[in-house]
Order: sequence, then structure tokens, then C-alpha cells
Amino acid sequence: MIKKINLLIVVVLFFSVQHGISQEWLVPADKQNVKNPLEYNLENVKKGKEIFMRECKSCHGEPGKNNALALTPAPPDIASSKMQKNSEGEMFYKISTGKGIMPSFKATLSENERWLLVNYFMNFNPKKSPVLVVAPPIKATLSGRVDAGKKLVTVFAEFKNKKGEQEKLTETPVNICIERAFGNLPVGQVITNNNGAADFKIPNNLIGDEEGFVTFVVSLGEGFDAKKVVLGKAKVGTPKETPKLIRKGVIWSTNDNIPMWMLLSYLGAIGGAWITIGYVVFQIMRIKGMSKG
Amino acid sequence: MNKIESPEESRKLLNKIVFDLTRSIVKKDELTRFWFFILIMFSAVGLWGWGVQIDKGLGVTGMRDYVSWGMYIANFVFFVAVSLIGFLISSTLHLLNISWSKPISRVAEQVAIAGVALAGIIIVNDMGHPDRLLNVFIHGRFASPIVWDVSVVMTYLTISVLLFYLPLIPDLALLRDRMGNEVPKWKMKIYSILALGWNGNAKQYKTIYHAMRVLMILIIPVGLSIHTVTSWLFAATLRAGWDSTIMGPYFVAGAFVAGSAAVVMLMYAYRLRYGLKEYFEDIHFDQMGKLLVFVSLLYLYFNVNEFLVPGYKMKAAEGVHLLNIFVGRYALMFWSVQILGLILPIILMLFRFFRKPLPLTIISVVMLIGAWFKRYIIVIPTLEHPFLPIQNVPAEFHHYSPTGIEIMITLFSFTAALLIITILAKLFPVITIWEYAEEKGIDKKYFSEQPKS
Repeated sequence: MIKKINLLIVVVLFFSVQHGISQEWLVPADKQNVKNPLEYNLENVKKGKEIFMRECKSCHGEPGKNNALALTPAPPDIASSKMQKNSEGEMFYKISTGKGIMPSFKATLSENERWLLVNYFMNFNPKKSPVLVVAPPIKATLSGRVDAGKKLVTVFAEFKNKKGEQEKLTETPVNICIERAFGNLPVGQVITNNNGAADFKIPNNLIGDEEGFVTFVVSLGEGFDAKKVVLGKAKVGTPKETPKLIRKGVIWSTNDNIPMWMLLSYLGAIGGAWITIGYVVFQIMRIKGMSKG
Repeated sequence: MNKIESPEESRKLLNKIVFDLTRSIVKKDELTRFWFFILIMFSAVGLWGWGVQIDKGLGVTGMRDYVSWGMYIANFVFFVAVSLIGFLISSTLHLLNISWSKPISRVAEQVAIAGVALAGIIIVNDMGHPDRLLNVFIHGRFASPIVWDVSVVMTYLTISVLLFYLPLIPDLALLRDRMGNEVPKWKMKIYSILALGWNGNAKQYKTIYHAMRVLMILIIPVGLSIHTVTSWLFAATLRAGWDSTIMGPYFVAGAFVAGSAAVVMLMYAYRLRYGLKEYFEDIHFDQMGKLLVFVSLLYLYFNVNEFLVPGYKMKAAEGVHLLNIFVGRYALMFWSVQILGLILPIILMLFRFFRKPLPLTIISVVMLIGAWFKRYIIVIPTLEHPFLPIQNVPAEFHHYSPTGIEIMITLFSFTAALLIITILAKLFPVITIWEYAEEKGIDKKYFSEQPKS
């Protein structure tokens, strides 16, 4: 009986492993050649990209960068040949049904949205000319200062133009974050004016460290090659409250909020015992003096 | 107590008593050396094991994430338990004027000192970083049973040492005055210093009686606290098997059983080794047997309460724990301890024959071993059930079994305790001479006389 169970387990394991690592993902013939109802154009590709960034990027990574999550089987990069050898119908089918660790998006995305995704994938197809071309990133520099009195963060952005001259970076979003223990917390976005400058009004309820200090980090978004700039610490936040982990009123509390009766009982008992011991030791010392009398 | 009127008779009897009771100090033969060799060798091996543990960390023990209190803590509880007998015999029985217990009180104090001293050392054994013991004093919480335990163990050790020393002072004077060439000079020097210039005047006796009485009263609450607080280390948690309101008295009753058994064993060893048949008489063993029956019945009563009441209800976590003890992994140990270590001895000791020295000693050995394993059952099975969902936990975390190093260090605690007792027995008489002589009707004035030789 046990042998049979063992055999069954081995068989089940074998198939499940096979299922997991299987390279072939067969799509029924009638689904393979379904035509994309949407037109392949910039607008649809852009919409598809938006969905991709929201729903797919976390596992598949950014196109062409091979930065997918290390899962088994590995989620393919959408610009890879492995992905692009699929027909549009096959892509649509696979998004819809899912397999193994790839979830089914039938319930999450509408049919239209799934086709938009396929449109975005086509942007990387070697047989098609891309409609959405990402320009090489612009080299830019950021600087900034914090005015604690006015509660303002002012940032300045510049970039190198084609002639190699420094030029003000106008009408560009700058991300404002603050440093936290486990990473940077975005608190807002400002757009630079004609002078390449922008002001960020620090909210009044911003929480800083124990003393109210906040460290701002400013960065440019996509399309720019600029370093994040960490601005100096400024006392512009409200101090962080450190909660007492053990509330008052429990017997086993810390020394800071120990119940008075508990402290007195402990010290009284131990003190009483040691005073008595001291008294006995004193008596012993007296014995020596008595021998002379 | 019949007063002996004749001075000659008094002196003769006193000389005999002093001669008999100092035999342990004077006696020096191959067996003594061999005994010391064995104890020192095993202690040294244990200390080496401790060195390995300090060097490599607690990973050399069987303790892991879930079972983080293992054999050391069980051993600690055992030693605290054994030490409690000092307070029962040399204080409670003394205050109640029970005269048969008087010759035994120093034996009980020896056990108490050795037990509580080792209990302190075992706690340090259990720490990966012994230096962090200081943190208890620097960062300790006044509301923590661990701080209470450390405080009370130190207090009890101090009181036990004083209660050993106080009745010893007149004896030390006796030894200083009477022991000549038989003992080495350094021993005589110790006697002379510790005797504090005692010459046995009425004021000195009055002071010493007064101080002893104060200590005997003080040791009762401290003695009760030491084991009650030790039990609270367990009972103050919510864990199944420890979360019990009777843990304090249950521990105290168990302590009397273990301590009485240890005292009986020691009495028998002294009686045999130092020829003290006339001092540790059959009647003392008989009375100790009765005392052992009494405290064992008390312990049995608490055991019934501790296991029957939760066993009746079998609350979820408690039920898992109890099944593990009653019919599971620890069933053999549990039932052996309860039947061989408690119920059977009680029945046997009801008969006069089994309260004779040798049978009683054999029973005591079995009971003491049972008492040690009982502590093991109290500490470990509870920890083997984390009562949390655990996943991907290494198999070695599920069950605890002590490693060689742990057993070595535990053996060290036993040999070290025996070493303390042996040194005390080799330095000082094992029975209080002056109290014993007085009990036999010899007037105090003869104690400070120099023997005519």
C-alpha cells in the first residue's frame, strides 16, 4: 500500500515538474491565427505600454533589458525572440489563459486591453517597424535647496544641448522624495518653469525623524540620465513619535513604567532580607569583641 | 536530655564525641585521594566542554530555536530544588524543636550550599556569552522573574553560608583548641581565624543563639521564594504545561522530596565512610524515611492536581502537550518517574524495613534520579510544541536531545557539587559537635577546656 502511495507521489511529482519546466506552450490551432482587431499605431502602442507597465513589468521586466524576475520558468523579455516568434493570436491566447506561474488575465483585463498589450509587443517585432521609439536619455543635472523658514524645496534642472552647452531644462517633471528607513518615499512632483526651476511646498503634516529632520531626494523621470540628488537635512517635519511598546499598567512592564507597588515590593523584600543579613553579620563581628570580656 | 553530673564522665564522653566527629577531617587514605582525583578529573573534563561551548557557541548543544531551554535549565531547577532541604531541616524542624533533626542539619546545609552554588553556575553555563550575565544587573527589569530569581538565589546562598557558619563557630574553637599534630598547619590557621576568638562565654552563646534564630526565621520566606520564583520562570508564561497556578507549591513540594533523598544519601555515605554509626543512627534514617513519605505524599497530591485537572479538560494546546507526556514521546520517562520515583517509594517506605539505612538509601537514589528526570519533563516537552505554524524548519529543530558537550557540562555540575560537599566535610565536622554534646547532657563549660594529655 505504502509502495503504491510512494509511486503515486513520484508520478505526480514527475508530471508537475514536467509541467513547470515545459518549453512548449501549445495554442489550439483555431486560436493561433486570430487577427488583432486593433490597428497597429502609436496611440494603441502607448495605451498597451501603460497596461504593460502596470500589469506585466513586475515579472517580465522592461523590454530589451533582460531584467525579469528570477522565476522558474523564467518570464521571457517581451523583446526577446522567444516572445516575438509567437503570432498575435498566440500572444492573446497566452495572456488570456495563463499557465503555471503565469496568471490568466481573462478576468483582470478586458479583451480590448489584452489586444492593446499585443499591440505594444508588436512594437518590438523584428518584422514590423517600431512606432514608439524611445529617445536616448538626455544628460541632465539637478540641484536644489530647502528653505526651512518658508517650508519650500526649490529645485533647478539643466541639461547639455546638442552643441554641448548647458541649458535650462524647462517644463519637466521633477520627483520629490524623502528618505525613509527602507527606501525613498515619494511625496510629490513639480514641473520646472522657464528658468528650469520649481518650488515644492512642504506639507505641514510631513513626519520627520525623532527631532523632525527630513532629508529630501530629488530625481528626474524617464528619458533623463541624471543622478538623484540628496539635499541636506532640514528641520521641516513634525517629530516622529516613538510609541511605547509596552503600555502602562501591566505588571511585567519596563523599569520606566513599572507599577510602584511592584517596585516597592521587590526592593522591600530584597532590602529587608539583606538588612537582616547585615544585622547577623554585625552580630558575628561582635562575637570577636566579646572574647576579651 | 539527661544532664551528666560527673565531670570525668562528661570529659570522657566529650573526648569520644570529638574524636569520632573529627575523623572525617583527620582521615586521609588512598580512597580519599582517589575520590578527589575522580571528582577533579570529571570536573576538569566538564570545564573543558564548557570552554568548547564558549568558543564555538551554543550551537554545540542540542538547543535550537524552539527548544531553547534544554538540559541545563532542567538541571538548574533540579539543583535549586535539592538546595531547598537546607531550609526545611536546619530551620523549620529546628524552630519546631524536633530534636532528631539536629545532627542532620549540617548535612542539610552542605547540600543547600552545594546545590544553590551550582544552580548559579548552571545558569551561566546556559548562556552563550557568560559575560552578559552583567546585563541582568545593568539592564534588568524589576518586574522580571529572572531578576527576582537572580536576587533570591544570591540571598539564599548568602543565608545558607551564614547558617552553615554560625553553628560552626564553637566547633571551630573546639578544633582550634584540641586538634594538634593530626591536621596540617593551614587547616589550624583557618580554624583559628574563623573561630573569631571564641572562648565560650555566656554572652557569646547568647549572641550566637540570637543570630541563628534570626537567620532561621529569615530563611523561611527566602527559601520558599527561591523555588517559587524559579517556578514562576515557567508559570509566568502562557505555554501549555507551564501555565499553571499551582506551579509554586508544586515545585516546593518536589524540592523537599529531592532534597530529603539527597540528605539521606549523604548521611549514609558519612555513616559508612567515617564510622558514624552511633551518630547517624537507625532512628535518624527511620525519621528521615517518614519525612520523605510525608513530603512525597504532598508532592503526589500536587502531581494529581497538576495533571488530572488539565487532563480532564484537554484544552486544545494543553491536550497536545498532555498526550505527548501520557502516551507520546515522553510517556516512558513520565510514567517511570511517577511510578518508580514517587508512588512505589511511598508504598515501600510505609514499611519499617525499608526505612532502615541501606534500603532507604537505595530508595533515595532512585527517587533522586526520578527527581532529575521529572525536571526534564517539566522543561523540555512544552518547548517542543511551538504552537505556531512552522514551515521549512530544519528537522533538528523539532525535537531536542542533549549533545555530548551538554551531558559533559551537566556531569560537571554533579561532580562540582560533590566536590564542594567533600571539601566541606574534609574541613569541618559533619555534625555540630557542641550541639550534639549538649544534647547528650554535657555542660557547655567543658567545651572550652583544653584536654589534658
